[in-house]
Amino acid sequence: MTLVNETTHIQVPKQPKKPGGRSVASRGLEALLTNRVVLLAVLIVIVLVVMTILDTTGQLSGPYNADYLASSLISAVPLAMLGMAQLLVILSGKGGIDLSVGSIVSLTGILFGLAYGPGGWDFIPALLLAVVAGGVFGAVNGVLVAYIGFPPLIATLATYYAYRSLALVISNQKPVSSTSIQDFYSAAQSVEIPLIGATIPLVPLGIFTFLIPTVIVVWIVLNKTTFGRRLYAIGTNDVAAQWSGINVRPNRMAVYAISGVIAGLVSVVTVAQFASARPDAGTSGNGMALPAITIAVLGGVAITGGIGRVSGIVLATLLIVWLNAGILLALPGNDGSQFQLLALGLVLVFASLLNGLTKRKYGGI
Amino acid sequence: MTIDERTRPAPASPPRGSGSATAKRILPLPVTGQEFVLIGVIVVLWVLLGIFTPAFLTANSIQPLLVSVAPIALIGVGMTFIIITAGIDVSVGGAIMLCAVVVAKTMVSVDIPLIGAVALAVALGLVLGLVNGVLIAYGRVAAIIITFGTANLFQFFALRVFGSSTVNGIPSTLEVFGRGEAGRTLGVPNSFAIMIVIAAVAWWYLRHAAGGRHLFAIGGNTNAARLVGIKVQPRVMLAYGLTGALVGLGACFILASGTATLDQSVGAGKELQVIAAVVIGGTSILGGRGSVIGTVLGAILVQTVTSGVTQLGWPSQLANLFVGIFIIIAVGTDLLRERARRKA
Repeated sequence: MTLVNETTHIQVPKQPKKPGGRSVASRGLEALLTNRVVLLAVLIVIVLVVMTILDTTGQLSGPYNADYLASSLISAVPLAMLGMAQLLVILSGKGGIDLSVGSIVSLTGILFGLAYGPGGWDFIPALLLAVVAGGVFGAVNGVLVAYIGFPPLIATLATYYAYRSLALVISNQKPVSSTSIQDFYSAAQSVEIPLIGATIPLVPLGIFTFLIPTVIVVWIVLNKTTFGRRLYAIGTNDVAAQWSGINVRPNRMAVYAISGVIAGLVSVVTVAQFASARPDAGTSGNGMALPAITIAVLGGVAITGGIGRVSGIVLATLLIVWLNAGILLALPGNDGSQFQLLALGLVLVFASLLNGLTKRKYGGI
Repeated sequence: MTIDERTRPAPASPPRGSGSATAKRILPLPVTGQEFVLIGVIVVLWVLLGIFTPAFLTANSIQPLLVSVAPIALIGVGMTFIIITAGIDVSVGGAIMLCAVVVAKTMVSVDIPLIGAVALAVALGLVLGLVNGVLIAYGRVAAIIITFGTANLFQFFALRVFGSSTVNGIPSTLEVFGRGEAGRTLGVPNSFAIMIVIAAVAWWYLRHAAGGRHLFAIGGNTNAARLVGIKVQPRVMLAYGLTGALVGLGACFILASGTATLDQSVGAGKELQVIAAVVIGGTSILGGRGSVIGTVLGAILVQTVTSGVTQLGWPSQLANLFVGIFIIIAVGTDLLRERARRKA
């Protein structure tokens, strides 16, 4: 009896009341604010509707239609894949972040290019080389973070410098290219999907060969394997995870290695896209790491760890890619790429302010 | 689950600053072990470089080195304040770009005096820093994320001011901070001397003023700091504002050390250089520990490596590899020392 009495006295912290007693609007608002997937879906619809209206009123420099949207997905491949990498790393907690993915893309891209081009390797061994090399570079981050105890920001900042420098030195600052690499360019082109291809627009091949397999594998790993569930436990509270019998260090190291493997795959995609292995492929301009982190945060991954879903990353990528594609049509030339920075910055600031707000109002994302 | 499967849980860390020898000491030593090591490393590097490249230890080589150290170390002083509060600011690259282009455009179109140009840069930098500070202190969002966002915004505004071309024909108003003869007093570059003065004031403030100690308290444990009555939010906001103001002055240094043409790559990657200098200098990225002296030494070390690699005739990109290795060595030894201290 005492037990029952005590439990009744425990205050349940800020649990939302039963949904039955509230209006549809209030429940809808809560879903919009607390469920990032719902918010992203609504935002994607808004972007598509606004752009279509601009298109029909003739304010765009080109048609914003299904074909254009499908072909713009080519830029979603590296973005979403590296977003997955950041999802895994940030999920593992303790300030997890990987600034080095862009440098790993550059460095493994050069290694892949040298092997596949001048080295005369076959495609599959060269691909395996890129994946293994990426995994090793990522594992270096993993050892520094998980075993030596470096703050992830510092460890990956250091390797960002080191790998970027190695990529430039190995390649002698020149892009690596050959006829086999230029032929490989076809891998980045748009294809018709068999059976239903005639009725839907052409989609870049990289979506099927790289992006969708990665998304499916990461989803299965996170949701259907013990490793994935352990990861959520470690990210939420690593001391509690250790007490419950999880060996934290190898698991935490593994996510950095996986992040490197994904970066290795991305490097192959980028080589195909540019028809050459560029030593600054992942580091020129803003690099690839910052957009990937942006996608992860926008997709609802909590920077503190333990919270984040694959679907959020996919939708966040679609939102950014289609928004950017629309901006390019609305403001041609230099203006377009400048306003893409504005859009990315505003989206990121509001997404994180929203994360903070929902945390206080509803007690979690 | 059986007992055998259980791994040994991590022991709770004991309170800091325990141990009889340090119990009476309220302040840490004026110069810490890490800083002596850094001084040693810099001396060894300079001697080695002096032996292998005779041109290194001459005024013609050291003066430009100090000129390029000045902006990184200056902004690093602000970044040290921020990182001590357990924050970070990755938007300084974008902020440098915006301050530099606004000042450059103003100097080209109006005949603005030196003091006006510096005031404009510092005021603009302060505003940009306060934008970060308000969002981080009052919006209660992760500093790294919000500053990634504002970095994009600052770059956007800077590119709008650039208007898709370079800024040409910048007058020599800022030459007192530059590489030339006008930029030196008694052989010491003015920009470096100004940086040292500001760093000295910051060192005193962090060590001896209540406000400075509050920053350490906030970085050590924000909730505890709030409970003892520290006004956490204004302090955090000011740390970002200060960094912004220093970014403004640093942008003037960068403008002065460049040519009469400013291109759109100004400021790119500077945020990581500044953070590298701060962490090599022994400031803990987790907050609560750090010093301005270390940051200045870290900036000198990074710049020595960069300039040394070029003078040795090695590929200049190799410098970044050494910067990465230095970060790992500096932070790694600090981690190992911390671990040894905890076991003792």
